Amino acid sequence: MTKQIHLWAFLQGIGHYPSGWRHADATPEAVFDVDYYKSIGQLAERGCFDSIVFGDQLQSRGANGHTPERVAIPTLDPIVLLAAMGAVTDHIGLVATVSTTYFEPQAVAERFATLDRVTGGRAGWNIVTTAHPASAWNFGQDEMPEKASRYARAHEFVNAACELWDSADSEGNAEPVQYRGKHITMDGTMPGPVLPQGRPVLVQAGQSPDGRAFAAATAEAIFCPAPTKEDGIAFRNDMHARIAAAGRDPEAVKIMPGLSFILADSEEAAIAKDEAVLDLADEALCIEYLGESIGFWLGDHDPKAPIPFNDIIAGTEFPAADITRMLEKPAASGIALGEFASGHVRTPRGHTVFRGTPQQLADRMIDWIDSGACDGFTLQPAYMPGELEIFVDEVVPLLQKAGRLRLEYPGPTLRDTMGIAA
Amino acid sequence: MNRHFILSATISQPGLNDPAWASSALAAAERAGIDLVVLGAPNSLPFDPIVVAAWAAPMTEKIGLVPCVSTAVSHPFHAARSLSAIDFLSSGRSAWNPVAGSAHSKAVTEDMVLAARSLWDGWASDALIIDKETGRYLDASKVRLSNYEGPHFKVRGPLNAARPLQGHPLLVCDASSPFEAVGTDLAIVDAQQATLPNTGCLRRAGLNPDLTALVAGFEAGDIAGVHWEIDDPGQDIPKIAAVAEAVSGFRQDMQSGATLRERLCLPLAEQLVSEGAFA
Repeated sequence: MTKQIHLWAFLQGIGHYPSGWRHADATPEAVFDVDYYKSIGQLAERGCFDSIVFGDQLQSRGANGHTPERVAIPTLDPIVLLAAMGAVTDHIGLVATVSTTYFEPQAVAERFATLDRVTGGRAGWNIVTTAHPASAWNFGQDEMPEKASRYARAHEFVNAACELWDSADSEGNAEPVQYRGKHITMDGTMPGPVLPQGRPVLVQAGQSPDGRAFAAATAEAIFCPAPTKEDGIAFRNDMHARIAAAGRDPEAVKIMPGLSFILADSEEAAIAKDEAVLDLADEALCIEYLGESIGFWLGDHDPKAPIPFNDIIAGTEFPAADITRMLEKPAASGIALGEFASGHVRTPRGHTVFRGTPQQLADRMIDWIDSGACDGFTLQPAYMPGELEIFVDEVVPLLQKAGRLRLEYPGPTLRDTMGIAA
Repeated sequence: MNRHFILSATISQPGLNDPAWASSALAAAERAGIDLVVLGAPNSLPFDPIVVAAWAAPMTEKIGLVPCVSTAVSHPFHAARSLSAIDFLSSGRSAWNPVAGSAHSKAVTEDMVLAARSLWDGWASDALIIDKETGRYLDASKVRLSNYEGPHFKVRGPLNAARPLQGHPLLVCDASSPFEAVGTDLAIVDAQQATLPNTGCLRRAGLNPDLTALVAGFEAGDIAGVHWEIDDPGQDIPKIAAVAEAVSGFRQDMQSGATLRERLCLPLAEQLVSEGAFA
């Protein structure tokens, strides 16, 4: 049988592009309304997608306490959103991002247990450790724990949560679970019956060596950026080696790189459409967006002047070394702040954007799969819901005709859909 | 001012984990005219009430959703945010009943309430502009840091969630897990227990209550309504429906579209409105 393609829809706010909310076919007011989520959940099911994924952050957007005015914020709590979407859909998986740094395992285990039960086994957990320093200030800390320590806690956290899920008892008489680690001390019990999936599907997205080691040990599906097919192959090979070294079966873990796209009837039309959306990102938006990316509010700086490198390094909320690495070269080139910011917006979150026809996109997806670059894709529509509708109406039938995408769901749970054993 | 005879009920059975059981119980409760369904109880949380409330939001139209939020396993940033989302997804029908978890004191619960409120007050209700033409999504002068510092919780803000449609979700206190906070909307109290000042009283009752006494209590302003524990939805809810019928003269019409606060005639307390106002 030809290799099948798994599809996730990564839905964050109103689309992948910071300017996407301004597109004529975008519906930015609707992201606070349950009917919008009902319609996109059902749209994703019509496309036979495996799952919807919501990202998350534990701080409001902006930098140095300033809130941007031109970026579409805020978003709704992902687990609440997915529980509501679960009530109005029948098959689609529901993957929520939840941090191990600013929750406790008992609470997270209960949250996913209930989500899995009320949705008949469709829950997934995208495990993150939270990177933005402003998150710490919302939880009474002066600074974020170091990355290695966050990942060490994440390991223990996931183990503790798994012990709780595994302890669930059909009669509701679960035995207490005691967990004693370096970072987690838990005396818990799992109330309520056994989860339909046993455990939610465990998803991870770390890129650093710590993140990859953690994913190799725990993840059942992995989300990553892959700008080119070669990047995808290299990442998948690296992860397969790490997963095997961790004593697990690499083929059982699904690698799902991000795929953002702008589709039209011809490549030229798609490029023109993309440029039109990018043009909606005016200079003021680009500067706000860059400021958020570098943890330094740029609102008071002249867009025509060079990048205020020294001010940024002195005032950034992020580790100065990371920002130095990012800005050193452009700052030395003398490029104006506004011009640099406008370029930065063109590659949101390090993912590239495919521009072409539905047939070209379907061909490319099949090529990546057959080349061993991935097991599926995490779709990131540039704006919502218009671009996702085009994908479902025009790309999905091509993938199905090519025998690469299911025509119906194989079973009730996300594990059934993803082909991931409990 | 109009008043509404409130009918409130707790469901805390593990059955709420089962979508068929839960949807049938919630639909029956809504049909019977129950205004508030409290999800979980201080001593019984066999599910995550926030998840059940979120799941119930699109399945119901009028009923108020009151998840119990345990201070033992929650944090005000998470609680404020998930309740804001439930309020939007239910078109303004969210409420909450903070309960002290084991080894957690009343003081932690009170701190949780104040911290969550400070986060909701970080966004003005008219902060969002969403003007595609000018590219202005929001008015940053209507978003502010909370910088809340209480005895247990310290939260900077702003919350990454807009101010709930209702301003703050309705705040319900179960007197068996008590706390004191200005602007508590409703308190669930036992038959003989004293009521709280400036807080509507939901009197616990049996399934065959003395209607004359309850109506007299409502007319005298002693109680805002009645609260039941539902053991068996199939048997208990029809009895509540009979009470709803008997007191219908003291109930406002349940118009869909109105928020829970509007329907139950429980506006946000004036002190909380002024504390949350933007200059």
